[in-house]
Amino acid sequence: MDAVKTLGKTLVASPERQVEADSDMDIVRRVQGGEVGSFDQLVLKYRGRVYSVVYNLTSNREDASDLTQEAFIKAFQSINRFQGQSSFFTWLYRIAVNSTLTHLRKNRLRTFFSFEKVGEDDKVSAEVIAALTDETGADRETFVHELQEKLNEAMQKLSIPHRTVITLFEIDGLSHQEIAEIMNCSVGTVRSRLHYAKQLLQAELQPYIRR
Amino acid sequence: MNENSHKPKVTLEDLLRVKRAEQPPAEFWAEFERGLRTKQLAAIIEPRPWWAPFIKISTRMSRYQVPVGAAAILAITFLTVREYRTVELAPVYEPVASSINVAAPAAVSATPSRLAPVSVTSSAPQAVVAEETAAVPAASATTAPRVSTADLVGTSSHVAPAPAKLTPSARYIAENLAAAQAADPELDQMLGRTIHNFDNHSARTEPLAQVSVPGESRRSRLLAGNALMASASLGDSTLRTDERSSRRLSERRLAESDAVSHIELSGDRFSMKF
Repeated sequence: MDAVKTLGKTLVASPERQVEADSDMDIVRRVQGGEVGSFDQLVLKYRGRVYSVVYNLTSNREDASDLTQEAFIKAFQSINRFQGQSSFFTWLYRIAVNSTLTHLRKNRLRTFFSFEKVGEDDKVSAEVIAALTDETGADRETFVHELQEKLNEAMQKLSIPHRTVITLFEIDGLSHQEIAEIMNCSVGTVRSRLHYAKQLLQAELQPYIRR
Repeated sequence: MNENSHKPKVTLEDLLRVKRAEQPPAEFWAEFERGLRTKQLAAIIEPRPWWAPFIKISTRMSRYQVPVGAAAILAITFLTVREYRTVELAPVYEPVASSINVAAPAAVSATPSRLAPVSVTSSAPQAVVAEETAAVPAASATTAPRVSTADLVGTSSHVAPAPAKLTPSARYIAENLAAAQAADPELDQMLGRTIHNFDNHSARTEPLAQVSVPGESRRSRLLAGNALMASASLGDSTLRTDERSSRRLSERRLAESDAVSHIELSGDRFSMKF
């Protein structure tokens, strides 16, 4: 079942995505026609996802906030050039990822971590944390903080392309095809990077993995 | 064994779900919205840089990078080759006059009339004309008369664009100068030295004079012939002046005197064949 789910994720955009892309295109056309206020709808729709991608790439909430704003500003400035050859969210993601990669390359030696709180709404993450807390017998808050640090350290040990691929695939749930479009590379390259990144992460997070 | 089977599985994907759950609080988005609005307004108000249209054009032209680049390389290559060929084909040496007047040196003798008149004309485009006197330019049917300082004193050789005919003023000056030379040989020598210095200076500065001429051996023969002739007729004192006058022959004139094919010396005779 999991394999089928994963396979479905790797295929080209689902029908829901297509509907979403069509509605985005309508809004974009309105903005291009002069309804500048309509751009707020796109901001509201995608700010969480864009922020999540940028945050997981930088592991810094302040940088993530600035870079997300920058991505939306750039998209707003260039929206007249958007011709709909790709979906709006792919285009927006590409802007955000490129801005983030530029920022990371500029500040390669300066890395500060500042984490967001782990939400308790997500069932899967709550179960994982509960299982690991019960096993170690540690305080939940302390354990979550420690786990966050370890996860971010492991992510930062990855190269920027590998980190981008793992973020877009595992955390944001994009397909291989979409990641290939965003990163301007082939699907094979995406798969290869994903495989290598997972291997590295597994080695780094071995103490937390239970088989 | 049983403990292990009861342990929940935790995979890498599960751990990464924890990262997905890292979300900012609601108040963060209010601050985010405010910051975005400010930046958006600033971006609208901020004037676009002057080079912004070029970025737009280059973005549009990006699909034509290869053909545009190839065309630019071809154009540069064509221009470079054309420029190179123009420089290469430019005439390094171009005869200005169809006739060359080799004037007999005035310093050789006290009176110009002592010089043997050698006037040679040929159908060849280049000719050597020895003028008898400065006052009477030896203009033949094929050689155009020229007027220059050197011609007036009857010493040096200058190749200049020939006027159609001798002007009355030039003829008047030439006659006066010839009379002065006849009356005062010292003046004649002085004038000859002045012209000689001028010739040396012009030879230094004139680019054509720096070009090596194929008739180097011919020049040597002329020098030798002149020297022998002078020693035979005038003796040692005139030999020095003859050599000096020979040096006044510019490289250019010698180069143009390719028509001289044979020089013969016998006793006190000097003959040139063309």
